[in-house]
Amino acid sequence: MRKNVDNKSAYLMLIPTIVLLITFVYIPLSMALFRSFFESTPEGTQFLGFQTFIQTITNEYFMKSIWTVLKLSITITLTQLVISFLFANALVKVNKKLSVISRTLIYLPNLISGIVVAVIFTLLTTFNGGIINSLLESIGGSPIAFNNDYFWSPLSIIIPTIWIGFGYFSLVMYAGIINIPKTYFEAAEVDGASFLQKMFYITIPMMKNYFILLVVTMIVVNLQMFEIPMIMTNGQPANTTLTPVLYLIHSRSNGNISDTEITTAAILIMIIIIIINSSIFYLFKNKKGRKWEM
Amino acid sequence: MKKRNKKLILDLLVVLVVFMIFLPILLMIPSMFKDKYEIFSYPWHLFPSNFTVDNFSRLLYLEYTSLAINFFRSMFVTIFVASVAVVLALSINMIAGFAFARLRFFGKNALWVMVLFTMFIPGITILITSVKVVTALGMLDSIWVLIIPGLVSAYNIFFFRQFYLGFPKEIDEAAKIDGATNFQLFRHIFLPMSKTPMVIIGASIFMGYYNSYLWPTLTISQERKDLFQIMYIIRMLFNDSSTIGYGSVLAATFVSLVPPLLIFIIVQKYIREGIALAGIK
Repeated sequence: MRKNVDNKSAYLMLIPTIVLLITFVYIPLSMALFRSFFESTPEGTQFLGFQTFIQTITNEYFMKSIWTVLKLSITITLTQLVISFLFANALVKVNKKLSVISRTLIYLPNLISGIVVAVIFTLLTTFNGGIINSLLESIGGSPIAFNNDYFWSPLSIIIPTIWIGFGYFSLVMYAGIINIPKTYFEAAEVDGASFLQKMFYITIPMMKNYFILLVVTMIVVNLQMFEIPMIMTNGQPANTTLTPVLYLIHSRSNGNISDTEITTAAILIMIIIIIINSSIFYLFKNKKGRKWEM
Repeated sequence: MKKRNKKLILDLLVVLVVFMIFLPILLMIPSMFKDKYEIFSYPWHLFPSNFTVDNFSRLLYLEYTSLAINFFRSMFVTIFVASVAVVLALSINMIAGFAFARLRFFGKNALWVMVLFTMFIPGITILITSVKVVTALGMLDSIWVLIIPGLVSAYNIFFFRQFYLGFPKEIDEAAKIDGATNFQLFRHIFLPMSKTPMVIIGASIFMGYYNSYLWPTLTISQERKDLFQIMYIIRMLFNDSSTIGYGSVLAATFVSLVPPLLIFIIVQKYIREGIALAGIK
């Protein structure tokens, strides 16, 4: 059989994709890389080397925001993994009808934007007269500054973010659990395995790929988060909840930072994402630990 | 007996979790009908003592306030942009997924790598330079700048490719023997079989456009208030909530939730199937 028989029609089908990717991804990416290494002035182009990168890495506000978003992302992703996994296990066991209804309903928050979610949660967390503080006062407690407190501010970002992703995580985990062949559990039951043993020796190892998929996609999303922090805390208190993208947006509107610096900072965010995600693949995907392989 | 109790507790726990998820939305609904003074007042009551629809009617007159925006026109424009984007993006990404899954052509692997590599590029990295590109193309302040740059998505092409890879080779061969071209093969055989992924991916494209905030704020200036997207409007209202009242912000938020709710009702049947599809990968 001849190879490459479909050349003409395949290229016709791919023209829109290729043109759009080059125009709106590859050209901007090349421009971004170029701008972070070269400086264009009316007199000509000058090679700057790593000068802009060094400037960005030594920018304490930006670096602090990177640590902030890493802490937030890790907390969010781990919590989401654990609670969704437990919930998905419950969904497999409960009454069929309840399971179907629950799986449908929990997906809804996933469709709502971060801005809308934050506006809804503000109703609960407002300092003067928010629902939580009103209820606290009714039982004699003192109000909490959810948007300006070292302990509560991170939480008022973490909880709405988990709220958005919980349903999607649970659905993916549910799909993972029901795709495990039933015979594995039956065999384990014959050998007298307990509930926890089945979970740690069958369910979790069999779902490794689902965990990796969820973590890798969420790292990309969470490291760029800014909508919920922008509305809930706006970086307060003392910039401890300022995420990198929010920092860049703020600095750009204040005129504190040049477009070149923003681009360089954003390239650093990309590098961090690539490093984290490749480490995850390297650590978990190729590991041939006997105990974890079925 | 003990086992039955355990199951009942688990059932109740699931009901409780689902209820907790809906609690914030449920709490928002009565608050929309409270007046400006009651909404953040102590002590808190679930239901409004002075029932009012002012929060909604105020949205009609935003054009005559200092904000000078038209909430409902923005809703319409945003829905229009998202709908056009769904049609265009589905056509482009589906046919690309089909070509990568079913056709043999020169440079296939190189092009596939070129598509996949874009998954590793975060939006923020190319944000500023993308604005430069659309400025150079003269697209700023037009409806096209909201639609065109986000049409191609490596995730969606990947999804459709995986879906089309799942069909037996004999389908193509039979169609070719009957003299079908590749376009006819796609149009008459693969397209009609793609309803489930079309609904799922279509919904996610719609929500992506409907919920977008950052890109429209950078590419639409104050001169084109008629093109303002709904998330930007909500952000503006939120910043201005001391003047227009938080009740109106909630009312606007609630109205903006109608399209996602409709999408949710359409897709819910397909969600389970879709997750099963994702499981094939």
